[in-house]
This record gives sequence, C-alpha cells and structure tokens, in this order.
Amino acid sequence: MKTHKVEQLIIATVGFFWCFLMWFSTAAFSPSIAAHYHLSIAALGLLASSAIWMAPIGRIIAGWASDRFGAPHTFAVILAGCGLVSILSAFTTNYDLLFFERVIVAIAGVSFVVGIQHVAQWFDAQEIGTAEGLYAGTGNVGAGMGALLLPRIFGTNYHAAFAWLGAIAIVIAAWYLLRGRAAKSAERRATVQRRSNVRGTVFVWSRYIAIALMLAYAMSFGLEIAMNAWLPGYFTRGFHDAILALGFSGVAGVQIAAGTFAAVESFCASLFRPFAGYMSDLFQHKGWTPLPFIARTLPYAPRLHWLGISLILIALCMIGLTLAGLSGSLHASVLVLVALGICISFGTGGTFALVPLLFPDRPGAAAGFIGGVSTAAGIVYPLVFAGGANIHLGYLHAAVFMFVPVILFYFWAARYELHPEEHGLISQAALAAEQA
Amino acid sequence: MSATSPNPPAPQEAWFKYGVATLLLEMAIAIAVSAYSLYMTFNGLGGFPGKH
Repeated sequence: MKTHKVEQLIIATVGFFWCFLMWFSTAAFSPSIAAHYHLSIAALGLLASSAIWMAPIGRIIAGWASDRFGAPHTFAVILAGCGLVSILSAFTTNYDLLFFERVIVAIAGVSFVVGIQHVAQWFDAQEIGTAEGLYAGTGNVGAGMGALLLPRIFGTNYHAAFAWLGAIAIVIAAWYLLRGRAAKSAERRATVQRRSNVRGTVFVWSRYIAIALMLAYAMSFGLEIAMNAWLPGYFTRGFHDAILALGFSGVAGVQIAAGTFAAVESFCASLFRPFAGYMSDLFQHKGWTPLPFIARTLPYAPRLHWLGISLILIALCMIGLTLAGLSGSLHASVLVLVALGICISFGTGGTFALVPLLFPDRPGAAAGFIGGVSTAAGIVYPLVFAGGANIHLGYLHAAVFMFVPVILFYFWAARYELHPEEHGLISQAALAAEQA
Repeated sequence: MSATSPNPPAPQEAWFKYGVATLLLEMAIAIAVSAYSLYMTFNGLGGFPGKH
C-alpha cells in the first residue's frame, strides 16, 4: 500500500482529536446527567474527576503497546473499544453502570502517547517538533470543542451524543486499521518492536533525562489540566467584586466570566502548541544554544535549550500571576494568564519535540512514561494553590518550591555533551546487559 | 545568543510549508477567539463564545 507521512499524521491527528472529544464528553454533559439522576455536588465532583483516573497507568501501558504491536493496531483497539462502550452507555438507565462505562470511555485519553509514537516513526529529526506539535495541538482542541459544541448540537440529550461519538469512533478505528502504517520502514519498526520489553521500559524510567522531561511535562501539561479545574474557582473567589463591577450579576454571571478566563488559558495552551514545536525546529535549524550549563554539542542540543527557556518562562508567569493577583488588577491577571497559556504550550510542545530524539528505539515507552506519570501533577497543583493563607500566593509557592527545583534538575540532567540517555539510576553493568 | 551547528541543517520538505501555514492558522484562531472572549467579558456582555 502506498502512503505518505502526511497521511499518517492526519490519521493520527483525527484519531487523537476524536479520542479527546470522547474523553471530555462526560464533563460536557455533566449538568444534564446530574439533573437526570439527581446527583449531589460530591457525586458530580466524582464524575468529573473520573475522567483522569485511567490516564497515568493507561498511558504507560498504551506507550508500551504501541512499541510492541504498532500504533495503528493499538489506536484502533482504543477507538473501537471506547466507541463500543460509549454506544452502550447511551442506552444505560442505571447511574452506577453509566459511571463505570464512562470511566472506561475515558481510557480514550491514553491515546495521546500512541499517536506521539506513530508520528515519531514517520518524521525525521529536523521536522519532528512541528509534526508532533501539529498532532498534539490540533488533537487537543477536541477537548475544548467537546465543551463548546456538544451541548449546542445535542442540547441535554447526552444519550444521542454518546451513541454518535461511539459510532464515529468505530469508523475512525476502521480507517486507522485500513490506512495506518506503524513506521516509515520495516527496519525502524523491527528495532522498536525488539526493544519493547520490561528491561527496556525500566531503562527509560531510570534515565535522568527521561525523569527531567517527565517533570518538565508535569510542569507544563500537568499545570494546564490543573488550571482547567482550578481557575474558575480562583477567579470567582479572588476577583468576585471586580467581576461584579464588569456588569455581571449573580452566581451564574460570575461563573460565566470566571469560566471564560479559564477557557482562554486552555485555548491558548492547546492552539499555540504546534507553534512551540515549530520553535523547537527553528532553534534546531539555527543552532541556538543561549542557556548556560545545558549541553551545546548534542545533535538536538538547541531543542534542549528551547525547553529550558520554556520552563523558565512558565515559572516567571506563575510569579507574575501572584503579583497581578496581589495588585487586585483583574485585567493584569488575565493578561498574565494568557501569557501563561502560551508558555505552557511552549513547554508541552518543547518536551515532545525531544522525546522521540532521545529515545528513538523506545518512543512509545518513553512517551508513556513522560506523558503518563506527569498527569498526576494535575491532582497536586490545586492542593498547593489552595494551601496558602492568601489565594493569590499559591502560584508563587508552586513556582519557588516546585518549579525552581524542577528547572535546576532539568539543567543538571541536560548538561551531558555525549549520550545523556546513558546516565541514570541503573548501574553501568546493568545498562550494558540491557544493551546487549 | 550563541549559535552552534551540531549538524548542518537539512532542507525542509514540501509538506513543511503547509504544516507551518496550518499552525499559523491555529494561532490566529487562538488569538481571535481569546480577544473576542475577553472583549465580551471585560465589557460585561457575556463569556466564551455565545455564552450569555
């Protein structure tokens, strides 16, 4: 079968977009589900949080499976399985069963790492940032589109929405199987498949640079999903009077304004991600290495510097968010928030422009580890934000006590001028045995 | 800014310019939607597209 890498990129992006649409479709209809089943606030919160339960472990397994069985087979199984359960959930009348089925459908969110692996198997080093950015950024929009469009198309009829989403997922799964090819060459495919064992996975998990990238992704994507949950409440409490002064009234009015500020941050974080990947490619093309300590002679050294700059910008934006909050300026706070969304995209795009290059023989295992474990950070940040005496100080605490140590560790792990992936927690002897 | 060239830059393939055009379009959408939403909100007119 004749194919082209752009076709593979489009297949992966459409599959990922649809998976993210399914992943967040429960949240889009949570008010309707809550009204239908008379759910309490606690039950509603449980339903909302259930979307993320399967992500950490699921992404690790999905990353390994894409190395082992190939991205098209893995992606098709995820799409078809989640699609089938989504259709079943459309006909369910028992809430406990519906909750269980929607947790299964939320597994669709693990597909991210499968597509990352797929794209990495087709695109060359000099264009990987843009390719991965286009895949991840465009696919991510599925989450926002779900919140924006599904309630407008289906109203409160979530049954019909779940059925349609599932049916189309099965069609995309068939397309993926029919046209998807796991790698550009049989040789590349065979190398990755041969390395997809437990020892290879432990090897990736124990590398300092892999841990640094995982923490970098926790600092960017983990922060993005934490902010999605945290920001509406933050603006409602921290800027209540300022929002009322804009002309909004009542709980619903304040909720709309606060939700808009949160949505803008999320929107920028998604749609600037391809640009972040392009910037990584540009740094690479120009050979820019402006930061101290970080390696300068590695074939992908400029990409390490771009990610380092992104992490510093995220930390600065967090400090800026605290300062803007303490000043009481809603306008300044929202402006910093837009900047934070853009800088978060720099971090997410910059991280996955590096992963396939650092672990070319284990792209799925590496993407699973870095993209999976880091999502747990989304649970931690809101606790830090809410822990301070002043609601605006939480960002400063996170920046100083969490982000600065992560940045320092990243600089330390990225300082090796030769094979940074050889340095890790496993001894040299074990490493030699693994490579044999 | 220091500039090193670990490897000579490889020429970009034909698809790349369409990829860059797509990402520029996505950025323009992000900026337009954000600006429109913030304009609506700061003037007390509503929220994220169409949410009044």
